[in-house]
Amino acid sequence: MLMKLSYLLLAGLTNGSVYGLIGLSLSVIYGSSRVINFAQGEFVMLGAMCAVLFMVTLALPWPLAMLAMIAVVVVAALALDYGVYRPLMKRKAAPLTIMIGTLAGAIVVYGLAFLLWGPDQRYVPPVLSLTPMRIGFLVTNAQQISLIAIFFAFLVATWYLLYRTRFGLTVRATGVNPKVALLMGIRSERIVQFSFIFSATISGVAGMMVGPLLGGHVGMGLLLTVKGFMAAILGGLGSPFAAAAGGIAIGMMEALMAGYGTSLYAEPAIFVLILLVLIVRPYGLLGDYEAERR
Amino acid sequence: MAANTVPGAPRSPTIVPVLVVLALGIALPFLLTSGFHLRLAMLVWIYAILCMGFNLLYGYSGQISLGSPAFYAIGGYAFAMLQTMLGMGPVSAFVGSLLLVAVLSLLIGLPLLRLRTHYLAMATLAFMLVQNGVANRWINFTGGQSGVAVPPLEWGGEPIGRMGIYFVILALAAAVFIFHDFLIRSHLGRAMQAIRDDETAAQALGVKVTRMKLAVLVLSAVMAAIAGVCFGITSLRVDPSLSEFHVLVSLLTIVVVGGLGTRFGPILGSIIVVLLPQLLHEFGELETVVYGLFILLFLLFLPHGLSGLLERREWRLRRTEKKPAPAVTRNLKEELP
Repeated sequence: MLMKLSYLLLAGLTNGSVYGLIGLSLSVIYGSSRVINFAQGEFVMLGAMCAVLFMVTLALPWPLAMLAMIAVVVVAALALDYGVYRPLMKRKAAPLTIMIGTLAGAIVVYGLAFLLWGPDQRYVPPVLSLTPMRIGFLVTNAQQISLIAIFFAFLVATWYLLYRTRFGLTVRATGVNPKVALLMGIRSERIVQFSFIFSATISGVAGMMVGPLLGGHVGMGLLLTVKGFMAAILGGLGSPFAAAAGGIAIGMMEALMAGYGTSLYAEPAIFVLILLVLIVRPYGLLGDYEAERR
Repeated sequence: MAANTVPGAPRSPTIVPVLVVLALGIALPFLLTSGFHLRLAMLVWIYAILCMGFNLLYGYSGQISLGSPAFYAIGGYAFAMLQTMLGMGPVSAFVGSLLLVAVLSLLIGLPLLRLRTHYLAMATLAFMLVQNGVANRWINFTGGQSGVAVPPLEWGGEPIGRMGIYFVILALAAAVFIFHDFLIRSHLGRAMQAIRDDETAAQALGVKVTRMKLAVLVLSAVMAAIAGVCFGITSLRVDPSLSEFHVLVSLLTIVVVGGLGTRFGPILGSIIVVLLPQLLHEFGELETVVYGLFILLFLLFLPHGLSGLLERREWRLRRTEKKPAPAVTRNLKEELP
């Protein structure tokens, strides 16, 4: 009984960490640029597929592979920044038009990945060992534990960066009003660029870690983007931590519903729940920040 | 913010271009030789119907709802099931499915239209995913992956041929098109634009914002349902792929490529989106990449879409004919990129 519950909660925490990391990275970008990045899940996909490329095909040791993977996602993030965000901002496009632009970017990334890896499910090598180990009555493995640890590490790092450094202050200022921030000597474009790179790195690392647990194929990005959004919306878009909490909540609900109800309806049921939450609290569960801004 | 990106609709008379488009539509099946091309033509009209609803909702009223594909699918499913399960005739099944979707969208819209921008987009996307999940999983009722068969349309005991079905779809599309055009030119269209540009100001000017938003949502859902029914009668089968993500991507591409908040945007966009994959076939595996790049190029270089290009030029000509005062010219120049 307790075994099953704890097992489910651990599984939920694992998937929730990935959704939370995507939600976190989405809301970092949203916070500095007011843009929802539809290509976020593609970074996770790139993370997982680069693990295949660098660790299996090229047989690099994992620290090198991770650096190479980060280089790849940073290039993708820069391409998104220079190819989609900046030109559209110059045209004074509406935020939702930019969102459609990032969707087009996601299609391009997906298409390129499809050329490289094809449509099949790939074996993603684990970075750390997948052998089961016991902690108390929990059965887990090093990969799972490290994913959850990475989630909390990124959470703390983001908090420190945004709220405890001068640089974080400039990031938050850009989010509140880019024009005024520019007048105060903050290079807003650089800040947005940084937020793209930062969140792409987070998502890429999440992808590399979750690859062996979820399995990797080039079409995985889309559903992850959607779940990341749902996480960010459920928690509240304004704050990265609310978004991360939303991700954990979604992962937990999913696991519990699969464990105690039917796994068949777990996904639709989650979306129904999110709809209900939004109806009751239109700015997300923890979304007061956003409500204040208006 | 949306005010910068969407041109104010010119209110020039459009009866001539509307008739030209419809005449082309009538002439089309006589010019096409193969059944495959006729099917593509039908798809163009189906997507045009779907996107005209979306255009009213997003392009004119500024309410982004990503749930249109759900209503598209529900319309198709209802049309099929009312016939196969309840034994209704096609006409009553058509009316029944539209009513069902209207009621459903009203129920969904009442709570959801309180949400704004990204929150509304995500909530409606969640609705679409729920619909798709149920269509995929409730196998006893919806047939799961394989979907539901739609009985072929009959006329006097004989099944209607391809050409006949094309004209049925064209007639429905024409009705929606004329209605869409009428609505845009009427005071209701201007009220919708007022809501899009500034909700508070619109309310202050006496626009009943909530009622209007709800009405447009129901209208766009009904149009989506008409498109779903049309898809049902061309393909003789409806399945969960009607509300899958690629339909949403096509929808967004059509409104962007055709032009948001323009009159002919949905039709021009549909032509491009239906024909483009056929043309991109020669790129082979690069097809998806080229497709994405194509959308991007449109976003970057034609911010008001194809239709925006045409209507804008017409608008500018009309303005210069009237020789506006210098101050007005300066304002216009600031508005136009």
